[in-house]
Amino acid sequence: MRRRRFLTGAAGAAATVAAGAAAGCGNLHSADPDVLTFMFRGSTQEREVFGRAVELFRQRTGHRVNLISTAVDQYSTKLQTAILGNSVPDVFYFDAPMTTAYVVNGVLADLTPYIEATDLPVHDIWPAGLDLYRFDGERIGRGRQYAMPKDLGPFSFGYNKTLFAELGVEPPDPDVPLDWDEFLERCQALTGDRDGDGATDSWGTSVNVAAEIHSYMWSNGGNWLSDDHRTVTIDTPEFAEALQYIVDLREVHGVTPSINETEGMDGYQRWLRGQIGFFPVAPWDLTLYRTLDFEFDLCPYPAGRGGESATNIGSLGIGVSATSRRPERAAELAMFLACDPDAQAIIVGEGQTIPNTRSHAAEWVKDTSLEPQNKQEYIDIVEDYGRFVPNTVTYTPEWLDAFHTNLQPVLEAREDVSEYLAATQPVMQDFLDDGYEQFRIDQEANAQ
Amino acid sequence: MSATTTTPAPASVRLTGQGGTSRHRPGDGRLHRSERIWGRVFIAPPVIGFALFALAPLIFSFYAAFTHWNGLSAPLFSGLTNFRTMATDPQFWQSLWNTLFLMLGIPIGLAISLALALALNRQMPGRAAFRVIYYLPGVSSVAAISILWQWALNGDFGLVNQLLATVGIEGPNWLAEKMWVKPALILMGVWKGIGFSTLLYLAALQSVPRTLLEAAMLDGAGAWRRFRHVTLPMLSPVTFFLVVTGIIGGAQMFAEINIMTPTGGPEFGSATIVWYIWQQGFQNLQLGYATAMSLVLGLMIFLVTAIQFYLNSRNVFTVE
Repeated sequence: MRRRRFLTGAAGAAATVAAGAAAGCGNLHSADPDVLTFMFRGSTQEREVFGRAVELFRQRTGHRVNLISTAVDQYSTKLQTAILGNSVPDVFYFDAPMTTAYVVNGVLADLTPYIEATDLPVHDIWPAGLDLYRFDGERIGRGRQYAMPKDLGPFSFGYNKTLFAELGVEPPDPDVPLDWDEFLERCQALTGDRDGDGATDSWGTSVNVAAEIHSYMWSNGGNWLSDDHRTVTIDTPEFAEALQYIVDLREVHGVTPSINETEGMDGYQRWLRGQIGFFPVAPWDLTLYRTLDFEFDLCPYPAGRGGESATNIGSLGIGVSATSRRPERAAELAMFLACDPDAQAIIVGEGQTIPNTRSHAAEWVKDTSLEPQNKQEYIDIVEDYGRFVPNTVTYTPEWLDAFHTNLQPVLEAREDVSEYLAATQPVMQDFLDDGYEQFRIDQEANAQ
Repeated sequence: MSATTTTPAPASVRLTGQGGTSRHRPGDGRLHRSERIWGRVFIAPPVIGFALFALAPLIFSFYAAFTHWNGLSAPLFSGLTNFRTMATDPQFWQSLWNTLFLMLGIPIGLAISLALALALNRQMPGRAAFRVIYYLPGVSSVAAISILWQWALNGDFGLVNQLLATVGIEGPNWLAEKMWVKPALILMGVWKGIGFSTLLYLAALQSVPRTLLEAAMLDGAGAWRRFRHVTLPMLSPVTFFLVVTGIIGGAQMFAEINIMTPTGGPEFGSATIVWYIWQQGFQNLQLGYATAMSLVLGLMIFLVTAIQFYLNSRNVFTVE
């Protein structure tokens, strides 16, 4: 009897464990039909902020939301696994370059009918942000709306006002970009030994090529792709000149930390320590930058031969699963997070993003109590001259990754810039062509 | 055949019949039937788990390797396309080469751990503390170790270069230079695995029969000859085990690469085959291709392990 009870108990426990494992294995649906699941990512602070915005949604609508938050570096793999397992959360963040693939393969729900029916100010969201998640079956930027922009991240340039004042360097104009010669002159004036120990401890700038090459190259008239997005165009004089300029900043003029100095402490760390004159100041860094013991402000990126400043805009999308059992409610949450004034007040209030809506932004730029003073620069980028990196309009991002794979010797001036670009263009073109081929196959397969 | 010769009873009779006359098959009784049922209940969870989470994916992967599959929608049969792509994909071969190169750490690690085990096998003060210290990396998370070594290998203020500087050597940018990134990863791998290998060697050393060593000594063998001809052969099962598991583990190296060199390293110099499979499958929507590469990798591991078993079948010392 005792043995039977033991066996029964043990078998029951084993069955419970097995059932629990099966039920909990990557299933991101909620079993409760009244509960939405929302999967998102970000720093601890950002996750807490969005948690508060979601709580406001619950109070407002009565709809419960189950939050699934993941560290940034694990997010895309976890989402992909959820899609593979057919257990996509009702609402989720995704990287903008995945829009085409997710639409073509039926992962994202079409939000257009919900937008037409809502009272939320969706049309107050930046048009550039909305366009990024439109797709007509062939190209991004037109057609049905498949996601809301969680935010727009204008990748702006900035400068250390305190360092400029200390070294007596004229600060840049907030509206007129420096040309490359002027920019180099300022950088040279900012580079030097401040404490007299014989070692350089301030530099004009520090270029993170992966993030910043876009602005140098675009402002010089270069581009990654042809207008129809079918041909890689890095083998042009404009592109080569821009890359050479970046290399020369370090290797010829010494106005950025050397490879060794960058490895020891990267440009970001040196900027935080007040050692860099010009540096990117993106919105997601503002919370930290405001705690630094120097003043900073925004300015346009220097302009190459095109004469006009250029930079890129980043974005994350908030999508709704095409298999959601509560698509209307899920779409409501996505739109709420993207444009509800009270939700935006919570999100923007923490200083990690610029307002997602134009009317809120108009008020936000007037606030001079918080750095940077020249917040208008962010708005100008979003409304006027910012661009999206073109991996957002291609099917797969591999072609752009290929550019960076063998770039290090070029940055160290061990390999000629033009030779590298000429040799890399066909490699990138092959990847781009493969991406289009994959796009075509997937389109046909999903049409069946 | 004499009258007293007895024919061996059938196994079932011997197993079940208390008096040697029962003709019941095993498990026919109520008690046995009940035990049989409960036995099956108990083995069911791991068997079902294996079938669901190992066997079924394995069978599916054989099919998926022959498909165009982006991981978002249903796979499309594509024949040998993935395998043809693999044959001409320089990054596949580069990552395979990187993976093989990193396995140089296996013999290095074995040699060091054997030396350490020999040292720790002697009476010395703090022996237990040393054993714990050497084993600590074995119980630490790979992520923590990777971040730790990212700092240690930092070109400017990293511990490795600071140590080199004390003897007048200017260390390289380990993780940023193609030439040095693999040695750096080998260095970390050896450090990480040394405690486990040392522990196994230590246990094996302590089980070497003293009688053999004493016999060799009586035959006039010196310390080196005793080590070469007695101790080392007696350690061969452990060495074999460490080499096999080392190769299997080395072929699957991923987390360290993804944390320390998230883009595959300078000029793809540290991308291992599993890292490349992950990149193709989860970042470039080429899950069919990634599955084909996984199959090839699995086949390679199987072949290498089979060859090792074959080659070692006559060399490895076993106790009958």
